[in-house]
Amino acid sequence: MSATSLAISSGSRSAYLKELWTHRILILSFALRDIKARYKQTVFGIGWAILQPLALMLIFTLVFSRFAKVPSDGVPYPVFAYTGLIFWNFFAMTISQGTLAISANAPLVRKIYFPRETLLLSIVLSAALDLGVATLLLGFLLTYYKVGVGLAVLWVPVLLVLQTLFAFGIICITSSVHVNFRDVGHAIPLVLQLGLLATPVGYPLSVVPPALLPIFLLNPMAAIVAGYRSAILSGTTPDLSGLGIAAAGSALLVAVGYLIFKSAERTFADVI
Amino acid sequence: MPDVTVRLEGISKRYRVQHGWYRSIRDASRDWFHRFWGPAGDSDVFWALRDITFDVERGDIVGLIGSNGAGKSTLLKILSRVTVPTRGTFFTRGRLGALIEIGAGFHPDLTGRENVYLNGALMGMGRREIDGKFDQIVAFAEVGRFIDTPVKHYSSGMQVRLGFSVAAHTDPDVLLIDEALAVGDAAFQARCLNRLAELKEQGRTIILVSHQMANVLHHSRKVLWLQGGQVRGYGDPESMVEQYLKSVREVHQQGSTSTAIGVERPVRIDHVTLVDRQGRSLPTFQHGGLVCIDIVFTILRPVIEPVFEVTFQDSHGYALGGLTSRLDKLKVDSRLERGTIRLTLDPILFLKGDYTINAHIRDRLIDRYYDVQKKAAILSVDGPSITSREVSGHVMYPHAWALVDCHERP
Repeated sequence: MSATSLAISSGSRSAYLKELWTHRILILSFALRDIKARYKQTVFGIGWAILQPLALMLIFTLVFSRFAKVPSDGVPYPVFAYTGLIFWNFFAMTISQGTLAISANAPLVRKIYFPRETLLLSIVLSAALDLGVATLLLGFLLTYYKVGVGLAVLWVPVLLVLQTLFAFGIICITSSVHVNFRDVGHAIPLVLQLGLLATPVGYPLSVVPPALLPIFLLNPMAAIVAGYRSAILSGTTPDLSGLGIAAAGSALLVAVGYLIFKSAERTFADVI
Repeated sequence: MPDVTVRLEGISKRYRVQHGWYRSIRDASRDWFHRFWGPAGDSDVFWALRDITFDVERGDIVGLIGSNGAGKSTLLKILSRVTVPTRGTFFTRGRLGALIEIGAGFHPDLTGRENVYLNGALMGMGRREIDGKFDQIVAFAEVGRFIDTPVKHYSSGMQVRLGFSVAAHTDPDVLLIDEALAVGDAAFQARCLNRLAELKEQGRTIILVSHQMANVLHHSRKVLWLQGGQVRGYGDPESMVEQYLKSVREVHQQGSTSTAIGVERPVRIDHVTLVDRQGRSLPTFQHGGLVCIDIVFTILRPVIEPVFEVTFQDSHGYALGGLTSRLDKLKVDSRLERGTIRLTLDPILFLKGDYTINAHIRDRLIDRYYDVQKKAAILSVDGPSITSREVSGHVMYPHAWALVDCHERP
């Protein structure tokens, strides 16, 4: 590699992480900025974090449960769908906003140096806040439908870590590519729409024909969403084989994605 | 062995000249191709910097000078790590601070307080560090009770002051400054300069880009002169600034072509000459001496009392005032066909340097322009120079210094 700077050529992975650590407060600052900007001059404010999945839950209940008679693993359909929707929303929001994060902050990126992944991580953080708010209604629904929550709920943090890694790995790559090719920004909403249908959010994995199941589980979000349902609604340990594949895939994706991002980062200021 | 805090070795930066508004797949694939199959043979590249090598020692203040497009900003961008060099290596030791784009990190919807934290974080400060300096930062910026108001309601001056204040309190080991001193009102500027002096005393290394030669001379211990992306010289401020100004003068004189505008002008400027009392044209005029600016004109159509105007500019194009013939109630008989009007400057107050003379002919009310000749002539003056630091600006007024009231210590 011809272009090196001593300050950067020590750019081993540990140096990246060390620099990220010194800038950790930046993640929070960006996240606060995004949250404030997102909900300013709205009447419902952060309430939108609940309204969005709630509206989708109502329409899903009508279409999937009432019209199509889709089963819901013995749990009342509304709480079944809502559980899937809030975690899917967390994923979709991270992907759609994370992909645009670098180019949306073009003036900053052009003028000031800071570890660029802080922009991506702040998106994860602000999306997590919305998830946290949406969880309040989940608590209400669980009580209302008298769904008991057992010890298996302890799997939720594990699933959250897994999901976050997966999403972060994706936006490392999509945001880098988006800086050069804005086509990505147009493709993402389409892919997310397909993803919502290809992931068992509105239906259980049990309705998927067994022959197609392996293909379904190639999508890590399928195992992850199904995992949340097992942990929260059924009180059973998630299917570990599916999660194992998802975990291995996510770990690989994060490692490769982060290195791609850090290498692409060098030219962000020139091409953005 | 000297304590080097900044070192650049063979730093070069290449930019691709973009033909479209986006980088096409074709461009990208060609890049990839050339990466593996030899060098790119295309000509649409531009080298903003070529082979820049220099060291800066701890506590040095280096002024970076050069005309527009010389590569000063690109060099700062590389040092501040916003962009990476195409070739070469460099390091900066210790914490780096940059007063380059003041307030670039401001978000209009956040309050002053939130923006201080966001900008402090951007500069690499931790929360506790910002907590500790918060009061100082706010006091320095003089935003007072507006600190909890969204920044979008700030005046532009307040935004700039707050931005400067955060940046100036980051305690960097190496500080990069780009013309940042030209912000705020006079009192704030004075405080910025004092802050700079403080940082200087604390032994911080500073790299300063400025077009104001007086600032460069005042603050720098060394000057790096860039031209066309290459180092023209690196050394003591006086001789570098002197050489730089000389080169600017030369370029400036080469470009001194007269361009006339105006379509239906009733009166026209033919040419402008600079002569001494005897009518000889000289290459340079002495400060304190005399110069006659002769404007030769032709009257094409009857015109009522045209007014002649001469304006002066320094070699960077800053306006230095002007004089009109109406000031001396001089009336030009419009029945003339041709004539010469003379403006005598006696004494010449300008400091050493080259000054552009623009000649205009205007209507009786000094409302409209009949004819305009930009760069009609260049007045070269020899005399006291700003490089001596004893004078500053563009003129030296007739003056006398004296101590007029003395009280001896009892």
